[in-house]
Amino acid sequence: MTRRISRRTILRGAGGAAIALPWLEAMAPRRAQAASAPVKRFIVMFSANGTIPSAWTPVAGSSESDFTLSPILAPLEPHKSDIVVIGGLEQKGGGGDGHQNGMGGMLTGQPLNSGPFAGVGAPPAGWPMGASVDQRIAEGLAVPTRLRSLELGVQVGSADNWGRMIYRAANQPLPPDDDPASVYGRVFADLHTDPAVVARLRRRRKSILDGVGAQFTRVSARLGSADRQRLDAHLTAVQEIETRLTTDLVVNNPSCHDPTLSPVSTTANDAFPMVGALQMDLLTMALACDITRVASLQWSRSVSQTRFTWLNITQGHHDLSHRPDSEPDAVSNLTKINTWYAQQFAGLISRLKATPDGAGGTLFDNTLLLWCNELAKGNIHGRIGAPYVLAGSAGGALRTGRYLNYGPLPHNNLLVSILNAMGVPDTTFGKADWCSGALSGVL
Amino acid sequence: MSRRCSLLIALPVLLATACGGDGVATETFPLCADDPGPAPLRRMTRFEYGRTLSDLTGVRASVADQLPPDEETLGFDDIADAYSVSTLHAARYLDVAEQAADALVADGVRLKAVAGCDPSSGDAGCLGDFIAGFGRRAWRRPLEPDELAAMQQIYADTADPGAKDGVAGVVAALLQSPQFIYRPEPSVPAMTTAGALEPYALATRLSLLLTGAGPDDALLAAAGSGGLHTEEGLLAQTDRLLTGPRAAELFVHVATQWWELGGVPTLDKDRALYRTWTDATPGALAEETRLFLADAWQGTPNLKTLLTAPVTFVDADLAAFYGLPAPAGSGFQRVDLDPARAAGLLTQGSFLAEHAKADQTSPVLRGKFVRAKLFCTPPAPPPPDIVVRPPTVDPRLSTRQRFAQHTADDRCAGCHALMDPIGFAFEHYDAAGRWRDVDGGQVVDATGDLVGTDVDGALDGVPSLAARLADSAAVANCTATQWFRYAFGRAEQSQGDLCTVGKLAAAFKGTNGDGDFKKMVRATVRMAAFRNRASGVSP
Repeated sequence: MTRRISRRTILRGAGGAAIALPWLEAMAPRRAQAASAPVKRFIVMFSANGTIPSAWTPVAGSSESDFTLSPILAPLEPHKSDIVVIGGLEQKGGGGDGHQNGMGGMLTGQPLNSGPFAGVGAPPAGWPMGASVDQRIAEGLAVPTRLRSLELGVQVGSADNWGRMIYRAANQPLPPDDDPASVYGRVFADLHTDPAVVARLRRRRKSILDGVGAQFTRVSARLGSADRQRLDAHLTAVQEIETRLTTDLVVNNPSCHDPTLSPVSTTANDAFPMVGALQMDLLTMALACDITRVASLQWSRSVSQTRFTWLNITQGHHDLSHRPDSEPDAVSNLTKINTWYAQQFAGLISRLKATPDGAGGTLFDNTLLLWCNELAKGNIHGRIGAPYVLAGSAGGALRTGRYLNYGPLPHNNLLVSILNAMGVPDTTFGKADWCSGALSGVL
Repeated sequence: MSRRCSLLIALPVLLATACGGDGVATETFPLCADDPGPAPLRRMTRFEYGRTLSDLTGVRASVADQLPPDEETLGFDDIADAYSVSTLHAARYLDVAEQAADALVADGVRLKAVAGCDPSSGDAGCLGDFIAGFGRRAWRRPLEPDELAAMQQIYADTADPGAKDGVAGVVAALLQSPQFIYRPEPSVPAMTTAGALEPYALATRLSLLLTGAGPDDALLAAAGSGGLHTEEGLLAQTDRLLTGPRAAELFVHVATQWWELGGVPTLDKDRALYRTWTDATPGALAEETRLFLADAWQGTPNLKTLLTAPVTFVDADLAAFYGLPAPAGSGFQRVDLDPARAAGLLTQGSFLAEHAKADQTSPVLRGKFVRAKLFCTPPAPPPPDIVVRPPTVDPRLSTRQRFAQHTADDRCAGCHALMDPIGFAFEHYDAAGRWRDVDGGQVVDATGDLVGTDVDGALDGVPSLAARLADSAAVANCTATQWFRYAFGRAEQSQGDLCTVGKLAAAFKGTNGDGDFKKMVRATVRMAAFRNRASGVSP
């Protein structure tokens, strides 16, 4: 009893969390955590349209840990000892136009299949030929969290291969949810619903979804093979929802609380920073509550036309990204935009560092973050020297505080290193010819 | 891309040879029967799902906004090859189905209307009638005995604490099932060649095509009684559905996508340059276009109206935005515009602002739209080594002068000669869609040129362009192609498809060449591609 009271006090003292949590209390005793393998978490953050390489690349010193952050990466100064800046890699991609295959290949290391989306100067392309690295991690972690992974976005636009980076498998994009209110309702419902109601709802949904699943099987059997694949993919999704219902939410972290949510327009250009901030709050809390251990945040989309009016930049980002290096105002504005994204990445790191983990330390300690972009350089659709920043050590697996320039090795190698840091012992990832194994010296 | 382009370019030729004349009305039914083309499994779009759910349960159609957005390609939201599915989809279908089920059981009048009794009363007979009746509407065909039994089981499992909960459980299950969300078209038993679609599947195609919602009771009854087997029966239902308000809404939905106006409600402009642009402007521009299209459908639904009519709809605020006199009466009113300046959709703010940058007009985007969406001949993309960028805004230069680079550089000139001179004809309209006489300190020069089409000639202002477009057989053919893509949810691919497009185009052009949308829609249901299904559906 004393413990409960003290926990409530902690929650109220945590700031921004002035919410009474009647139902959470009842859930706490259900913990069944076997203190075995340490928790590991993985987060991807995406920003679009390439960077300004000259303003992004750190200045190397006498050793890999001796480097000076560039103007764009300067907001990461407080976290300098916790990051690894990876330079030089070639972001592989194939099929479709440069933005399409950059977006599709960034996390999958795979080319795009042919398909319905007509890009610029290339045959129409579909979705990538394989799963994204985060989904491989989710599979490797094999932890029955409530959500296998959580895809969040900010004004991600329409549903096509310019706007999708996470793939459950070949041809199976996982759409990012870019409405914080919707994320809140879906992810945190159990935290603000009477446990008796939750239990009843689960029984009910289980029975309904059983019936729905049977109907999918029945209808699917009467269709041709291509159509059947579509319905079977839907059936798999229904079954995953069912699994969720049978997975208890085990709350063993006092930091876990029902997040607050301020109303915000999800589509207004100028709401972009606010929506992103809310999504980062929700993402942090989803990790704190162990609702998932694999998450992503997609700011806008490839070919983003976000107008960074809050930086006094009125031109659309993509238009701006195509201006030549000879225009100082364009270079300056693009540097500002990428610096702003570095601030957001730093903000995400800070949120994780500020959130205690149930097992001691903070959420950040056992987390690995990746910040990536579908291009290296916007105006030439450049792919060599794509801007990757890792943060966090994934529980000590990664040696941080370093700047590593690998030259134009395929970025698939980085994806393998990420898998290894997360405890997935794969030796290759993505398209086989685009991978020569883990990058040496990252771990 | 190259394959699709060559087909599109070849289209006018094929229309003349493979398909011929415009005597659609007297030909054998169905038309182009040799090859109905592929019919991949389609999913209801958010638009269709919301409207259908609203009909069934009384929820607002906007509940569909909770679903992940539809994949868009070829300019439309219903292209079957582009769909994907994820757990987010399944989670959202679950949420929305529960909301709709709760809404239905909370509405006693609507609930009782389904079977003429109260299924939540505990009366087993009434429950059975309800499951059969609601199920038939939701699944657009009668449920089979074991499907009825499965729903009874769900009722038994979910009637906790009361019968209402069980009814809601049944409704939620029906609404998450593939027969509701998708449009499965089972093969006709022993079908070995292309043959007539099973009547309930035909009713579904008909209703979604004409109204963007599932079939009503009258259409299902016609399907059940053999009423769709004949051309007369099919056309009678077609004409009935075409007269309702839903057909007008569908027309607005399709035309809005064709004209690339889906993004208008979230459009924004550089407000330092366009000071009259407010948070309310994009919504008002979208509403103007919606009213214009609905009015055209009810009045004279032809291509000429869309391209040339010097009328629009404004309220006092939007009139002020355009610099027009406030309309008589409150709210949006139909107003006549100066025919020397105005030409249908081409001079509406929605179209003009969408096809412009945030801080300047774009002759390229406007010209490209005309090429790609009205002539179906999209220009080749820029060479890969060219740094593509709009010229910097310079207050001393007109847009035309700033885009001179395109004709100065040989590698750009070829394609931009097809786009920019069309776009220049729009130069009296700024990036927000308002009339202007001066640009960059200079009197606007809105002369241009239309080349490489069947209606080539010099242009001066949008009305001169609009008149040529309205006279173009190529534009009419392209319009039929756009409609084909929406109607069948796929790109035109085969000779059979080209025959279908040709017949649609012939019906559209008719004898006076005005381009009558209602005639084209009516011709669609007479096509084998609509009426029949190819063989080869067995596993």
